[in-house]
Amino acid sequence: MAALLRGLRAGRLLRGLPSVVAAPASTNQQCSSLRRSFHCAALRLQDESKSDKSSASSSSSSSSSTTHHEHYQAHSSHQDTEAASQQDPDPNSSDREQDEEYETEEQLQAQILAAALEFVPLYGWSMEAIAAGAESLGLSSASTGMFPNGSGDLVLHFISQCNSKLTEILAEQHNQVQLGQAERKKTADFLRDAVETRLRMYIPYIETWPQAMSILLLPHNIPDSLKHLSTMVDDIWYYAGDRSTDMNWYTKRAVLTGLYNTTELVMLQDSSPDFKDTWAFLDNRIQDVVNMATTAKQMQSTGEAVAQGLMGAAVTLKNLTGLNQKR
Amino acid sequence: MWLNCRLLSLPKIAGYPWKVAGSLQTSSRAYSVIPPPRDREEEEMMHRMLRVDHAGEYGANRIYAGQMAVLGRSRTGPLIQQMWDQEKKHLAKFNEILAENRVRPTALLPLWNLAGFALGASTALLGKEGAMACTVAVEESISEHYNSQIRALMESDPERYTELLQMIKEFRDDEMDHHDTGLEHDAESLPGYWLLKNAIQLGCKAAIYVSQRV
Repeated sequence: MAALLRGLRAGRLLRGLPSVVAAPASTNQQCSSLRRSFHCAALRLQDESKSDKSSASSSSSSSSSTTHHEHYQAHSSHQDTEAASQQDPDPNSSDREQDEEYETEEQLQAQILAAALEFVPLYGWSMEAIAAGAESLGLSSASTGMFPNGSGDLVLHFISQCNSKLTEILAEQHNQVQLGQAERKKTADFLRDAVETRLRMYIPYIETWPQAMSILLLPHNIPDSLKHLSTMVDDIWYYAGDRSTDMNWYTKRAVLTGLYNTTELVMLQDSSPDFKDTWAFLDNRIQDVVNMATTAKQMQSTGEAVAQGLMGAAVTLKNLTGLNQKR
Repeated sequence: MWLNCRLLSLPKIAGYPWKVAGSLQTSSRAYSVIPPPRDREEEEMMHRMLRVDHAGEYGANRIYAGQMAVLGRSRTGPLIQQMWDQEKKHLAKFNEILAENRVRPTALLPLWNLAGFALGASTALLGKEGAMACTVAVEESISEHYNSQIRALMESDPERYTELLQMIKEFRDDEMDHHDTGLEHDAESLPGYWLLKNAIQLGCKAAIYVSQRV
């Protein structure tokens, strides 16, 4: 009987889904009210599942669901003060709860995706992982409706999380150097460490990473993945001390992008212990770049010397032929 | 009471402490020229503005370099050198700002390098009047561009952009000086002056348009 009721409510929810998903072109107000109703429904379903669970299951699972619930309530009450300062013309009585959900919508999405990451080794980068993640938070698996670009959202969320972690680490190292507590690394070493740190974040998901890379290459994901890649490369160079404002800005970032992408591909096929072949490959490529830069500098100074030599020869010739005299 | 007397006597000690205090008062903000952006939109707008200004100063530098390459050893050499030095100062300031605010420089810099040098050298080959006419045209375009930026910043929030406005006004005044110098040194006596001037200004407008976007 309870299962039948649950099924009916799920059906009602699913019927509401197309209207939620198919409303991208509507006005903000309409969209927000639809989202609010969706969240309200999700919350109601969550509450029902909680009450079902607590009545039917053992004490341990009910305590875990209540801790989930408490965590959620604490989170919503924390957002309460922020939501209270927002102006909302909707006079609905259960609106306060809906407002809190609306304020934390992006955080809700982030929470679901973060929880979904645990299930990636099992289900791959897919909707199933997101559904499992939502369920582990006590939400209904229909919350996957919030992610029309499901697997893409999951991979992009993971990548931006990795980038934030990398930026934190680099900023921390930068502070240490500023405070004099650490030595300034040479550029080649700095780049090597930064790329290694960043790629090590993929190690827990390395089995499924080829799938993630192919998802990132889908046409609708390419702009976002390129944006994440370019901000990451810009951050690394900024903390490496690059302050150039000419074509070097572009060449340096292009070189680092090539370095990062090739090393990532090598890592996918590496089966050595702790990926030491990958790091050796990275070392060799950085050495290549350093050699190229040195060679370029040498060529430039040679060119300048040759130009000066030619100028000297021309002046000598002009002197010899008497063309240099003022008549 | 005693403290008040001490404070009143401070200005007599030396001009130095009060000058420092005064300058600290006006620049008590944490940033130097560009305020930290409030949101993505403002950041985009600010970066675009800085990018095109940097490209403009870079181009002007190369134009003067081209002019010096041809007329460097003539009578107008020192004059052009003086104007070039001021442009170098402007470029250095913009380089500093771009590095500080992590602004991407325009990808067309190599193009402006070649085009600027070619424009400077070719107009200098027309003689001193040609070089001056080129200076007048370019400086007029740049001044107009700075003026429209000043207007935009004043319209949006003069209080917030005080330092930036001050800097752009100073640069604009320098460019107007160069423009007037060019006129003083017989720019208008070049045959085909109006044609050359308008052609160069059209090119400058196109360069500004493109540098804002690429």
